[in-house]
Amino acid sequence: MRARPVVIALGLVILAVVLQTTIFAPGRIQPFGAAPNLVLLVVIGCARYLDPEPSLLVGFTGGLLVDLLSSSPLGLWAMVLTAVTFVALKVRSRAADGPFIIAVGVFALTLLGQVLFVFVGTLFGQKTIEDPQVVRKLVLPAIYNVILAAPVLWAIRAALRPSQRIWAQ
Amino acid sequence: MLPSGRRVDRVTALFVSLLAVSFIIATFDVRADGQGAGAALRDGAQVLFTPVQKGIDYVTRPIVGFVDGIADVAGLRDENERLQQRVQELQAQLNESEAMERRVQELEAINGLEPPQEIPTVTAQIYAAGASAFDQIRYVNKGSADGVIEGQAVIDEDGLVGRVDLVTEHNARVRLITDPLVSVGVRVQDTNETGIVSGQGSGPLRLSMFRASETVPAGALVMTDGSRFPPGIVVGAVTESADIEVNFALRTSVDPAVRISQLDFVKVVVGWSPLDADVEAPDGPLEPPPIIDQGFIP
Repeated sequence: MRARPVVIALGLVILAVVLQTTIFAPGRIQPFGAAPNLVLLVVIGCARYLDPEPSLLVGFTGGLLVDLLSSSPLGLWAMVLTAVTFVALKVRSRAADGPFIIAVGVFALTLLGQVLFVFVGTLFGQKTIEDPQVVRKLVLPAIYNVILAAPVLWAIRAALRPSQRIWAQ
Repeated sequence: MLPSGRRVDRVTALFVSLLAVSFIIATFDVRADGQGAGAALRDGAQVLFTPVQKGIDYVTRPIVGFVDGIADVAGLRDENERLQQRVQELQAQLNESEAMERRVQELEAINGLEPPQEIPTVTAQIYAAGASAFDQIRYVNKGSADGVIEGQAVIDEDGLVGRVDLVTEHNARVRLITDPLVSVGVRVQDTNETGIVSGQGSGPLRLSMFRASETVPAGALVMTDGSRFPPGIVVGAVTESADIEVNFALRTSVDPAVRISQLDFVKVVVGWSPLDADVEAPDGPLEPPPIIDQGFIP
């Protein structure tokens, strides 16, 4: 396991957490009352370019960071982002099929992460499923993540694998 | 390229291990009820992240405001109509309040009561929010060094914003009234009856009354009852009138007075706390200030 890409990936996740809690916070950029789930997108991107084990560790660590800066119990987002990373690792070979498949994958994985959070959050007493705008909070971030996928994945690839073309495996 | 069977096994084993660790951490944190190691870690993370968050918030605030303004242009007409309607409602409330204030002053003079003192507040600015769309929290730039402690009410010019639930030396975390885990003891202004308002994550709040004897009309103001927050802070307005159900129960929804998505500057009510109440009045809950407690409001 090479340390440099993992350190860079962790740095990207930290940057995503900071941007998520500032630029994409309520009252800032939130078109139609929702924002992209940047941390989820970065974790998906890292799963595309890192080896499997480091990817899982980055997903888990990113989830813990989100947990530390949110109101949900510690471990919930760690659980969700680890699971999303695992699924992303299973399907990442399909990314070579082109941008459309990547867009569909980002949408589905973001939606999966959000739905998983609602599920485990409700199991742990967070009442997330009772939110009247739960559907909006599930779907809009997935759409926004698709819109942001091209620049974010490009940046992740540039940081983690500077010698490769963007759609190359 | 497909990974080898041995590779898949290692990855799956690590995945299951991390899931198990997450589950154990979450279970311990829930059982600790926001205290213990979890709270210490959150404090530490907040201390580490705050300078970066403040820096990015400072740099990007004008740009984000400009972009957000453009995005909001489509909704400005609706917003204008809503504000005009709100102005009319507030004007009517102001007239009513002035008449009531005169009456209270007369009654205070007759009964020799001192008027309630102004409760000290600390103005704070929000610099960050929770990391998830389901978080109903905000971070403010005032902490224990400014007199902020856990449990204190946070307000803005419109009404109750939430309560402080995590404090470091120079920052604090505010849990909003829209959080499903926040409940506020309230009094309906029109009927003077008490109930509980709780959040639903977003949208309107839920008002539950258990000993109601009167119908609650739409538009009735709902204010804090003084049980956990200082009395008389506006929480919101009832969105639809509700009749009493069986066993004198009543349920309806309340539109929050504050605009949660547009919060910027808030005030932390540092001069009133339920913790203070426990020290000063060990035999029972804190008595609300005289205006409310004496039942002078008709």
